[in-house]
Amino acid sequence: MVKLRARCLLVGDAAVGKSALSHIFYSDGTLFQKNYSMTTGVELLMKCVNIPETNDSVELYIIDSAGKETLVEACEKMWGKPSLLCLVFDLTSEQSFANCSRWMERVRARCQGLQVPGVLVGNKSDLSARREVQASVAKEWAQSQGLEYHETSAKEMENCDAPLLTLARAFHSLYQERRETIQNLNPG
Amino acid sequence: MMIESSPSSLGAKVVLAASSDENHPPENIIDGNTKTFWMSTGMFPQEFVIRFAEPTTIAAVTVDSYNVKHLKIEKNMSQNASQFEPVTEKEFEYTEGHLQSNAISLNGSSATHLRFIITSGYDHFVSVHRVSVKN
Ligand SMILES: Nc1nc2c(ncn2[C@@H]2O[C@H](COP(=O)(O)OP(=O)(O)OP(=O)(O)O)[C@@H](O)[C@H]2O)c(=O)[nH]1
Ligand SMILES: [Mg+2]
Repeated sequence: MVKLRARCLLVGDAAVGKSALSHIFYSDGTLFQKNYSMTTGVELLMKCVNIPETNDSVELYIIDSAGKETLVEACEKMWGKPSLLCLVFDLTSEQSFANCSRWMERVRARCQGLQVPGVLVGNKSDLSARREVQASVAKEWAQSQGLEYHETSAKEMENCDAPLLTLARAFHSLYQERRETIQNLNPG
Repeated sequence: MMIESSPSSLGAKVVLAASSDENHPPENIIDGNTKTFWMSTGMFPQEFVIRFAEPTTIAAVTVDSYNVKHLKIEKNMSQNASQFEPVTEKEFEYTEGHLQSNAISLNGSSATHLRFIITSGYDHFVSVHRVSVKN
């Protein structure tokens, strides 16, 4: 039995639904806030995820960071060294998707060459009539960045757990890989 | 001549560690064997505390590890693992494919507990294979 701990950075433009997604994940799908309440700093949520077919678990320390441009710099200082990345955009906003590369740059600057498993999340899939970003385009960009792509609707509570469960599993696999490497090391 | 020994042969114990993998318990740090190890399970800082059976004068410790970047050592003279004072800190070099081995002078400090705080690593996970003590 192993208990892992991961610092999961949740970023993306303002109002794309980061807090909505993290609250749904945290509350096991009972809480969707319809009215927008802007995050002005970073909000920390902890949730323990069991890894299927093992006795292992991952404690995710989710860092929900403000998306508003003028607040980002102050928030970055509180990111620490991320273990995992969840990058969110709004499927009804081409701009929020375009800004994802900027978010990636910021996060990479924090990771100092560390391999950080990540997902790209297109949220608000319920607003299909207003969709501006095609799944194929988002998926292609995600792949180019080494991210796994997911679409969610926080409002309809659709697929909301998938991105964070994917990340927990990825972290667990990384741990097993590293443990293997260490087991096979030569003495200094 | 200085004698280098594994802390467990001196009656020492690891009384606290921040991370846990049942298969790689913190006791592996002080068994004198570099084949066995304790592994951190994510995020920093990480720490472990070694308790000696009695107040012990320590000239130096040698730490065999992997992916540790920065280590701080603290000590105390108390029966409890609390109220530590800083002794020294060191930046470890990255090694690929083999263990890091760092000798760290403690200047003959007297201690009942030594606290090792790993403040950063070269990877998400670090391992400590052996801590040996020179009296
Ligand atoms: N229709 C729809 N609305 C959503 C969805 N997810 C979030 N919203 C709404 O979008 C607005 C913004 O959501 P938040 O979760 O606060 O956005 P955020 O990304 O945390 O924004 P900042 O805190 O400013 O960075 C709120 O009014 C939510 O109710 C969704 O999947 N579908
Ligand atoms: Mg928010």
